[in-house]
Amino acid sequence: MRVASLAAYLYAIYKLPALARRLLGRAKATDRELAPTHRRAAAAILATALAMRGVMIKACQAIATRADVFPPEMVETLKQCHDAVPAKPFAEVRAAVERELGKPLGAVFARFEEAPIAAASLAQVHGATLADGAEVAVKVQYPDIEEIVRTDLRNLERLCRFYEWFDPQPLELLPLLQELTRHLGYELDFRREAASADRVRAIFADDARVVVPRIHPEHSTGRVLVMERVSGIKITEKAALEAAGLDPAEVVQELMGAYVRMILAAGFFQADPHPGNLMVTPDRKLILLDFGLAKELPEGYGLGLFELMFSMMTLNESAMIRAFQELGFETKTGNTDTFLLITRRMLARSESGSFEGEFTEEMTDELFEAIRQDPVVKVPSDFVLVGRVFSFLSGIAHTLGHRANVLAAMGAGPPG
Amino acid sequence: MSAASDSAEIAPDRLTYARDELLESGSYAAPLIAGGVRCHGGFDESGAYRSPRTIHRMPAVRAWQARLARDGHALLEIPRAAMPPQYPNVEQAALLLENGVRDPIVRTLTVISIVEGFGAIIRDVRVPDLASLVVEPIEGTALAHLGGGLFEAHARDESGWKDEGGHKQMWEAARDLALEKPKIPGDVLLRMMGRQAARRRPERPFPQLDETLERMLAIMAQVLVVEIFAEGTFDWGYRLLSNPKVSAAPEAAGAMVAHIRADESPHVEYLRTALSEVRARTLRTVDGKTLSGRSVVDGLVHRILRDVTRTRPQEQRDDLRDSLAEAVKVAPNPQRLLDELGALDTEWTPPAHTGFEPAAG
Repeated sequence: MRVASLAAYLYAIYKLPALARRLLGRAKATDRELAPTHRRAAAAILATALAMRGVMIKACQAIATRADVFPPEMVETLKQCHDAVPAKPFAEVRAAVERELGKPLGAVFARFEEAPIAAASLAQVHGATLADGAEVAVKVQYPDIEEIVRTDLRNLERLCRFYEWFDPQPLELLPLLQELTRHLGYELDFRREAASADRVRAIFADDARVVVPRIHPEHSTGRVLVMERVSGIKITEKAALEAAGLDPAEVVQELMGAYVRMILAAGFFQADPHPGNLMVTPDRKLILLDFGLAKELPEGYGLGLFELMFSMMTLNESAMIRAFQELGFETKTGNTDTFLLITRRMLARSESGSFEGEFTEEMTDELFEAIRQDPVVKVPSDFVLVGRVFSFLSGIAHTLGHRANVLAAMGAGPPG
Repeated sequence: MSAASDSAEIAPDRLTYARDELLESGSYAAPLIAGGVRCHGGFDESGAYRSPRTIHRMPAVRAWQARLARDGHALLEIPRAAMPPQYPNVEQAALLLENGVRDPIVRTLTVISIVEGFGAIIRDVRVPDLASLVVEPIEGTALAHLGGGLFEAHARDESGWKDEGGHKQMWEAARDLALEKPKIPGDVLLRMMGRQAARRRPERPFPQLDETLERMLAIMAQVLVVEIFAEGTFDWGYRLLSNPKVSAAPEAAGAMVAHIRADESPHVEYLRTALSEVRARTLRTVDGKTLSGRSVVDGLVHRILRDVTRTRPQEQRDDLRDSLAEAVKVAPNPQRLLDELGALDTEWTPPAHTGFEPAAG
């Protein structure tokens, strides 16, 4: 089993040398000393992910956006997972498209590029021209991906169960895996993705600064998605953004504004904001791609999240406790002191009283760290997904060297 | 200004205060509990409400104002005539509630609470090295205390602090008391953000000034105008929520709005004092020249008044109009209700002049 082999390899290159150092009474290895190990580990993770695709690539994408958490050698190597997954041969793609559309490629497309624009964990995208001349991007699901995902998830479930047996105080991984399973099911249904794209586009109907490509439903199926072709600069390409005259700080703020609007205000959002899914046009429009993982929050949840963020950023502890409870957090004893302890840890990170977007970086990390260390807290799954999104966003902001101010995105920013 | 009971025994000519003093509330005979939430402020032995963080802040502001007057400088006055009326007006809002149309009013009250809370952003305003940017001395002024407690006290008043709620929570309590904890429309934040999306960051009006100084003064002027215009909102909220025909708790809800209104007085006073102090001074520009503080403050106030009086009334009407057609469907006779609302409308024309036009300055 590839995952088990990888886990054993990582254990061997990290833990055994650390153990040897401890036994020899030597100090822990420095970041510099560990750099070659990180490179070897990243190469092994990448090789496993590219061989397995699916779930493993999703995990790599998450790592590659967290330059603030993972070592640079690992982030740099795993960035390839965003849009540089080796493509499937065109013959397989052609067969898949023709099978799905029930007609030859030439009956629908005047032109179809054999080389993909991008290849990702579940599908790859090709440029094409429709018979009416419209330039489109065609997202084609890998023919065997459903089975691969099913197998990966089965293996991961076995690993999680082993971990829970092995570790006397385990993290509750199985509910998270169930959530991942549900989300992968969503991502494999392109009809659902098309509907989600339409819904997000409607959220920004009055805001020309955000672009969601239009779907061609007449040429789309559950496994093939034909959409308007758009182009822009990948959001983490800081030098390219600057060369185009764009201010990365403003790009970060626009990105945060778009996500705050989706999550807090509309309660429906594209939940996979890795850099391969985000572009910026030279005229400062944000392009959102890939709505395979979109999430609808329960009614009122966005306002609840806003209350939690706002109370954290204004250091209002009593409001924080109410917000935690209203969002569905629970403690086994019902004692709210646990929330207070968690929030105080976060407040300790913003004792300056700063409003300047700390929630998205240090405070988010501190929140999850505190929750992780306190096993009595039940975390609602909706919150986990939102936390993951903000974590991705903070990673992007970090890559661009800026922070995003949630309150300014809400319109609380002081006048210029 | 608030009642004298807000003040400690402090020499009236004392002009310098520590940060902790400006944040001090003293003790209360009874706390203010709003909708089950402990809020700031409280009641003295006689049962009178006493605002938070005023025990030294109010005497300080009075002393700084007295010094300005002694030096022959007037306090900045924002003309109330420029204040647009609240829409829907009290009569229209009551009519909607009497007809079971609650969402627009619940939405308005929720937006007010959020905007109040946003006032806390003032604690993040960067205060530049004023001694190097202002020609005349600033010791013993409100200006010298902005980063030394005044901004922080303002922020705590608006959004709450630690285990005490602030104006955000007090407005929520007033809403929940009067309308019996209504369901909050799911589109509140979306409507707020939609309005923001259309706005553009304005050009710098005084690029020759240090940018941090210009930004601080612009924010202070903006907040001052918002605070003064909020008096209309307080009046609206008080009259509506203390109306027994539409409010389930007219006394308690009305009192809550009255407490918030009392708390806002120190904000207006310290902001107008500090801006008046700037008007009485000379500012250094980045190219080594000088600029009169009066021209800067008046220029900023002019721009803000012009923009606010032009945009705010229409924004409020647009917001309500967008939701009203759907909201009135719950009324027995939607069209008649719309007609009655139209008949109760208040005509308002923005003043032709702000009174702070550059030529007049």
